[in-house]
Amino acid sequence: MTRLARRTLLRVLAPLAAGVALAVVLQAAEPAVRLYTLISPSLLAGLAGLLGTGVLAGVTLMRRRAAIAAATAADAAVRRAATEATQDRLRFLMRLDHELKNPLTAIRAGLANIDQAGAAAADGSSAALASVSAQAARITRLVSDLRKLTDLETQEIEMAPVDLPGLVREVAEAAAEIPGASQRTIRVTVPQAPWPLPLIEGDRDLLFIAIQNLVANAVKFSAPGDTVEVRASEDDDGLLLEVADTGTGIPADEIGQVWQELARGRAARSLPGTGIGLALVRVIVARHEGRVAIRSREGQGTMVSIRLPVPDRARTAPDVAALRQHRDTPGKATV
Amino acid sequence: MGGHDARPVVVLADDDEAITSNLAPFLDRAGFTVHIAPDGEAALDLVERLDPDGCILDVLMPRADGREVLRRLRAAGRWLPVVLLTQVGESGERAIALDEGADDYLNKPFDPYELLARLRAVLRRARPGRKPLSAAPTLRAGDLRMDRISRRAWLRDTELVLTPKAMLLLDYLITHPDELMSRDRLLEVLWGFDFPVGTRAVDNRIAELRRALGDDPGRPDWIATIPGQGYRFVASVDDRR
Repeated sequence: MTRLARRTLLRVLAPLAAGVALAVVLQAAEPAVRLYTLISPSLLAGLAGLLGTGVLAGVTLMRRRAAIAAATAADAAVRRAATEATQDRLRFLMRLDHELKNPLTAIRAGLANIDQAGAAAADGSSAALASVSAQAARITRLVSDLRKLTDLETQEIEMAPVDLPGLVREVAEAAAEIPGASQRTIRVTVPQAPWPLPLIEGDRDLLFIAIQNLVANAVKFSAPGDTVEVRASEDDDGLLLEVADTGTGIPADEIGQVWQELARGRAARSLPGTGIGLALVRVIVARHEGRVAIRSREGQGTMVSIRLPVPDRARTAPDVAALRQHRDTPGKATV
Repeated sequence: MGGHDARPVVVLADDDEAITSNLAPFLDRAGFTVHIAPDGEAALDLVERLDPDGCILDVLMPRADGREVLRRLRAAGRWLPVVLLTQVGESGERAIALDEGADDYLNKPFDPYELLARLRAVLRRARPGRKPLSAAPTLRAGDLRMDRISRRAWLRDTELVLTPKAMLLLDYLITHPDELMSRDRLLEVLWGFDFPVGTRAVDNRIAELRRALGDDPGRPDWIATIPGQGYRFVASVDDRR
């Protein structure tokens, strides 16, 4: 019996115990006293009914409480298991990161040694050396990406009001630096009517990384002439940001794995990258209490959407205007 | 101090032989006399015996880790320049490395040429027998005053309102004055990792600092832009209260 049920039973039995105690006292003090009352049978029936209802209500309440307690315990167990799984994964990533760092440091120092001595140029091994350097750089990128993931899941992030349209425009400007971007049409849509988008609470740099990753993916998995659209909108659930492309799309059997770290689809094998991008996006959005989703059709394109909560509905136009005036960073967007 | 010839003497402490055996010849060829210590106690012995010009300490070592070596050096009043090789990617790590009086730090796996640049910079900045700026609790640069323990800064009598990242950047710049800092290096300082077009994030924080300081990029009192290269803290820094 749970503790809760035991407590309920005690409470139900308390009146009975009080009655018995009173009876014992009366019997001892005044054993000869008798009480004769006149009561109508209808009132008696009514009282009996009331008593029955009371007992039934007590039993029902007791059962429901026990059920809720059981469900809460099961919920807590599921949550604990999920937290433990996340912790295990984090610990594994940290260990992997840690074990790779020393050998990589040694390899880079060794390569710098050869480079410094000018030993390679003489015997024609410079091509081999360049190849080893490139591979070392590749592993370094992978380690750095893994560190980003573990860092972002654990480190404190800086929350401040962020103007999403300005941020999206800055990402679009920076997109010029993505190889192949000039051959795609990149379109940004931000609503102005009936009111501008509200500010969100977040870490501007991290949100920049997330959106930039999505735009870079859209460019990477599309061909010259394709279109990439970045669309922001608002509804009762908060802010919605979509990055869509008319590119190669993702096969149905791969769509479930795209958010996992190191996931690389068949189409990505011939392209550079570590397969950490979408995992990073997922972590960043989760740290902002948001949600990510993906829709894709092979041969037609892909759309990734990010939902972010808007903290306070009251913060609308005046604050947005003030923030936009205040910013004087390079690549500032006029809205 | 150090050797009698012009070559600076440096103690390199790391328990991974693969690292020391590759870094030592690299530093040697770059003009340093390198002594290797395989653990923390050995590093302390070498410093005691050689009185070197500088020290490179790995954080994770057997028999006294890098932090403990650093603490014991500083407690003994030895203010030789120290570069820490950190490897835990956790956020606090970077700030802590400076709080304990390391002159600079690098996250593994680092570019050996970056280590060379950091090492040369800390040796150049070293003030024999005096604490490095990175060990000072308060610093002044013109009208700017900084309390590094509480992470607060004042311009004349007005306290600056800065984001934590901008404060971290200001702390790094003010403790490394007159040193050319590449955007990539500052990105590493701010985030511990790089990311595509992340240098914009650095530019944004520099802009925030300039706004708070009222610094004109055209005629800077504090932070100068070195076109195509990065930034430099140009004000002279003083650790007297």
